[in-house]
Amino acid sequence: MKKATGLFILMGLLVMGCGNRASAPGVSEDKILIGNVQDLSGPMKELGAVLPAGSNLYFRYVNENGGVHGRQIEMKVEDHQYNPQKAVAAAKKLIEKDQVFCLYQVIGTSPCEAIRPILAESGTPLVAPATQSGSMSDMSREAADLIFHTDTGYDIQTRILVDNILSDNVNAKIGLIYQDDDYGENVLKGAAVAEANTGIPIQKEAYQRGATDFAGQVANLMKGGATHVIIAGVVKEPIIVMKTAAAMGFGPKFYGTSPTMDHRISLAAGPAGEGFTSANFASLWNSDAESAVLYRDLCTKYEVPKAYMGMYHFYGFITAQVLVEGLKRAGQYPTRERLVNGLETLKDWDGGAYPPITYSQNDHAGTKSVILVQVKEGVQTVITDWVE
Amino acid sequence: MKGRYEDENLSWIPLLIIGIFLIPFMLKEITFSYKYYLFVLNMAGIYIILTVGLDLLSGYTGLISLGHSSFLAIGAYTSAILVDQIGVPFILSLVISPLVVGVFGFLIGFPALRITGMYLGLTTMGFGFIVKRLIIALRVWTQGAGGLEVSPPMIFGYTFNSDWDNYFLIFTFAIIAVIVGRRIGKSKIGRAFMAIRDSEQAAEATGVHLAKYKMLAFFISGLFAGFAGALFAHTSHFISTDHFDILLSIYFIIMILVGGVSSIYGAVLGTLFIVLLDFLFVPELKDLIHRVLNIEGGDIQSLLFGLIMFLFIIFQPTGLYGMWIKIKIYWKLFPFNPKKRLI
Repeated sequence: MKKATGLFILMGLLVMGCGNRASAPGVSEDKILIGNVQDLSGPMKELGAVLPAGSNLYFRYVNENGGVHGRQIEMKVEDHQYNPQKAVAAAKKLIEKDQVFCLYQVIGTSPCEAIRPILAESGTPLVAPATQSGSMSDMSREAADLIFHTDTGYDIQTRILVDNILSDNVNAKIGLIYQDDDYGENVLKGAAVAEANTGIPIQKEAYQRGATDFAGQVANLMKGGATHVIIAGVVKEPIIVMKTAAAMGFGPKFYGTSPTMDHRISLAAGPAGEGFTSANFASLWNSDAESAVLYRDLCTKYEVPKAYMGMYHFYGFITAQVLVEGLKRAGQYPTRERLVNGLETLKDWDGGAYPPITYSQNDHAGTKSVILVQVKEGVQTVITDWVE
Repeated sequence: MKGRYEDENLSWIPLLIIGIFLIPFMLKEITFSYKYYLFVLNMAGIYIILTVGLDLLSGYTGLISLGHSSFLAIGAYTSAILVDQIGVPFILSLVISPLVVGVFGFLIGFPALRITGMYLGLTTMGFGFIVKRLIIALRVWTQGAGGLEVSPPMIFGYTFNSDWDNYFLIFTFAIIAVIVGRRIGKSKIGRAFMAIRDSEQAAEATGVHLAKYKMLAFFISGLFAGFAGALFAHTSHFISTDHFDILLSIYFIIMILVGGVSSIYGAVLGTLFIVLLDFLFVPELKDLIHRVLNIEGGDIQSLLFGLIMFLFIIFQPTGLYGMWIKIKIYWKLFPFNPKKRLI
């Protein structure tokens, strides 16, 4: 009887063991293949080259240190030209044809929204979508259980900026210049929440993606008497807006959402950009944060071109840290389900750049706070701790 | 008197249709990534419906349109709103959405009465920009630039949920669109369109009502684009203004040019060629170049696409359909072909 029981237990263990070794697409004895969809030839192609380069910098470091559970990480990048239809095609190619283990860092809100059905159908996780749209962590949406957002949403950022402005001046008249696309849509959502919370109306001025003339928007804000202006743009927009305002003799305090955090803004805007305050969801690449120090060391070690180094390259680097942590937690024999479960065990995880990240079955937002960074005498200076 | 289709050999068409519906089964046998190929073919199928209509407008009538991506957008958003927000059945939306786009086409046809050529192209392009702004402004229904989630197609209680299902739905309508397009092309309307294209004065002198037929061309083209838009929205499950940019309108024009204008079959061949080139061939070639030469960057993809298009238009100006006709003539005359190069 004892023998039979022992044999039964042994068989059970073997079955469990076999179960643990269940292979997943993209995972071999010595390699894990990750899929990434970037804008390599569309309106955001400047970021398309830099983000994966930042991620590859960290993957190289991990691979040279033995990989994850002995497996080297390899990333395959496809181009979507910021076109949702092309993003769907690229994601399908990566999942169906190239058999990647998971998707990572897909850039842009509408491309990420467009691939939700594919994620749901194939059960493929998407880690760290490269968009700060709050819709990425909306758990009521399709495939939300498979998407792990790492960045504080634009909506939350806008609300935090409004709160900060009002704590500075209760009588502030706030203006908002936003890009009239999916990015701006999420900013408007945050502005609506701030308006509802504070009862203070925000003057909103839209611009089209790619615009280079902001005289109309600045004139309208001047006419409306704005004392504080939030710019929800990327790099060139805040520069032009602040320079245009200076030329028109209009001097409100300027603020910006995280994409305006680029250090080139303070360099290009000159005196007009002095005092510009932006929100960011992670520590600065040139700060003393643990990840930033490692990043700079690796940039030196691997001779990364100076033109690459900066906010967006660092962004690719720190999201790679989150992915690698998830892969580690997925165990020796990773499956897509185990990656999801592994990421959901992150509780106040401090990767060295992000505020503490927490995921659960019901919350994939990761972080909900930002730091505020101000240009002081031409240098970006952190002026707050993590603010919620 | 000779019938309208008597000079055409149509016996191969049923075989072709059977072949089209066998493709998914063959792909499934050949490759495990058949879903990806079906997705690409589905996209080509939707675009075929649109380019058949565009061929009637630009190929047959000679009225250039750079606003067809906005026609596609109106069809897509109309159907998404009708089905998901008003509760209209999908099958009924396939009737209403094309009519709505047809009316927009009819309105855009007004400027065509006064202007032609490049100026008409610019006017239709301007229409495209207006539509994009309108979609963003009407955010109560369209969710603005954030994009709109759309339900899958449902016909008589059956939901088309996968690329496999969508293939049969899309290609059924694509085949119908080609047949209808050919019928229109060969009808009195089609002959009037061609007469306008060749010489407006001569057409008018022979009794062709210019205003009526020009606006009819826009209306019919709008119907096709609206139909394609409705299918696009429900089989993509998500639409946003980023889908429908000016580049897409230019792609549609390239598709009918590459295929060979005013033949309908040319629009089909051109669309298949461009979609397969853009989504299958060029990415594969890019991967190969990346592996062999270790060059990174998506610009290679655009460069390759542009280069192939450039060479194609230089060496094959009559398009794919023209090439097919030349091959047919060559084999008809074989072995008594004239000694000059035909292909």
